[in-house]
Amino acid sequence: MVQDLLHSSPGLLNFGIFFLMALTFLFVILGFVTYAILAERKVLGFMQGRIGPNHLGGRWGLLQTVADVLKLLVKEDLIPKAADRPMFIIAPVIAFAPSFMVVATIPFTDKLQFADLNVGLLYYLAISGITVIGTLMAAWASNNKYSLLGGMRATAQMVSYEIPLVMSGLGIVLLTGSMNLNDIVAAQEASGWYILWQPIAFVVFFIAAMAELYRVPFDLAEAENELVAGFHTEYSGFRWAMFMLAEYVYMFAMASLMTVLFFGGWLPPFEFLSFIPGAVWFGLKFAVVTYILYWFRATFPRMRPDQLMEFAWKVLLPVALANIFLTALLKELLNIF
Amino acid sequence: MTVSGEFIAFLALALVAIIGGVLLLNLTKVVHMVVALVFTFLSIAGLYVLLSAEFLAVVQVLVYSGAISIIMLFGIMLTKHNDEDDESPSVGRWKRLFLLLGILAFGAVFYIGIYDLDFGTTPVALHENNAEQIGMELFSKYVIPFELMSVLLLVAFVGAIVLSRKDDDEKEAEKE
Repeated sequence: MVQDLLHSSPGLLNFGIFFLMALTFLFVILGFVTYAILAERKVLGFMQGRIGPNHLGGRWGLLQTVADVLKLLVKEDLIPKAADRPMFIIAPVIAFAPSFMVVATIPFTDKLQFADLNVGLLYYLAISGITVIGTLMAAWASNNKYSLLGGMRATAQMVSYEIPLVMSGLGIVLLTGSMNLNDIVAAQEASGWYILWQPIAFVVFFIAAMAELYRVPFDLAEAENELVAGFHTEYSGFRWAMFMLAEYVYMFAMASLMTVLFFGGWLPPFEFLSFIPGAVWFGLKFAVVTYILYWFRATFPRMRPDQLMEFAWKVLLPVALANIFLTALLKELLNIF
Repeated sequence: MTVSGEFIAFLALALVAIIGGVLLLNLTKVVHMVVALVFTFLSIAGLYVLLSAEFLAVVQVLVYSGAISIIMLFGIMLTKHNDEDDESPSVGRWKRLFLLLGILAFGAVFYIGIYDLDFGTTPVALHENNAEQIGMELFSKYVIPFELMSVLLLVAFVGAIVLSRKDDDEKEAEKE
């Protein structure tokens, strides 16, 4: 359905349909974020021998995040006197907007996708880079040393880990011969999931992705015990919620991207299971990737800043480059693809 | 000329690009200027999309609005960042006249140059497999310029490191 719309001639009606679909999708993502936060708290709770939220909305705490969001909305919106006012106001918007833009290119099933881009993978990586500017602007505009330190750390981390992320994605682009995410999934139908062919790329991509998401063990940018809260120290109420929202929407996007790149997107693992619709497979794989992200958060200690940079430049980047070389050899010598 | 969606998109993007450029010149705080520049870069990427150069647009976002502006922001924040533009020095009447003439001449030259410009018939299939087409061209016809560019970049890179190292040595020498 969406594919037909994408290829039909543009007009006002199409615009309206896409606008409504995007709006619906925004609310779907907001719903996901609400329950992703609850799930994270629950999983963390169980892993640490606690119960987690269990008061609001039945014994599973189903309304806990809704209440948190309501609290955030009615909170006083503070702008410090010495802050750089226009930049302080625009920074959360610049940080959030790209996070929603990137999900447009992700194919959820063979029929449900918002933009069929030829440069899909590169589009994702390029657009997600804009968020860094929002982060840096927020850090700068707050006029606070903790904010600035956190923002600097966040930016350095994002810029360094973007390189291994792109480089490890290149192995997949080499095997597929296309950057279109649809083609990448289609190619996995013939050859098997890319996690089998690109295990090194998967490990590098996963680590770099976690660094891009600022998740433990890479959450130095908001290390509470040294930097109060990092770049959003001075933010409160809805503006702060925008930063948190951007972070979780990126988690949604990154988990979807990993599902598409390495786990075959909507494809079933075995042929005889193909009676189950693609959306269910996508959801299951997506849930597993998200769960691993939570799991890592509960089990790993935070890294030191100097270790962080060394790890990106001296370990991940050479490994990713070696993987490209290896993939090219594999493709040329074995002729499987 | 008919008003199509493409035309509206072009107008909006061009407007943002120009406003970004003007703000870059007129704002007083250095950090604000870089943010204005980011908007210009982004709308130029949008213009590339309109010209069906998707790959170029994405690379523009990745390199210019991603990497270069962040390096600029870093550079500004780590150096003399509280610098504000002073009141612009008073401009003489003659200087203003010449400035106006210069702008008019620039406008006229570009109007004449662009208005009747004909690139010949453009290939229609530019938007299909954009990245693949660029790769084919680059590695079959333009290999030597491409490699020379990479050597040039490497030289610039090494040069930057040498220059910054020299500063450190001098500082250490001063300390001693």
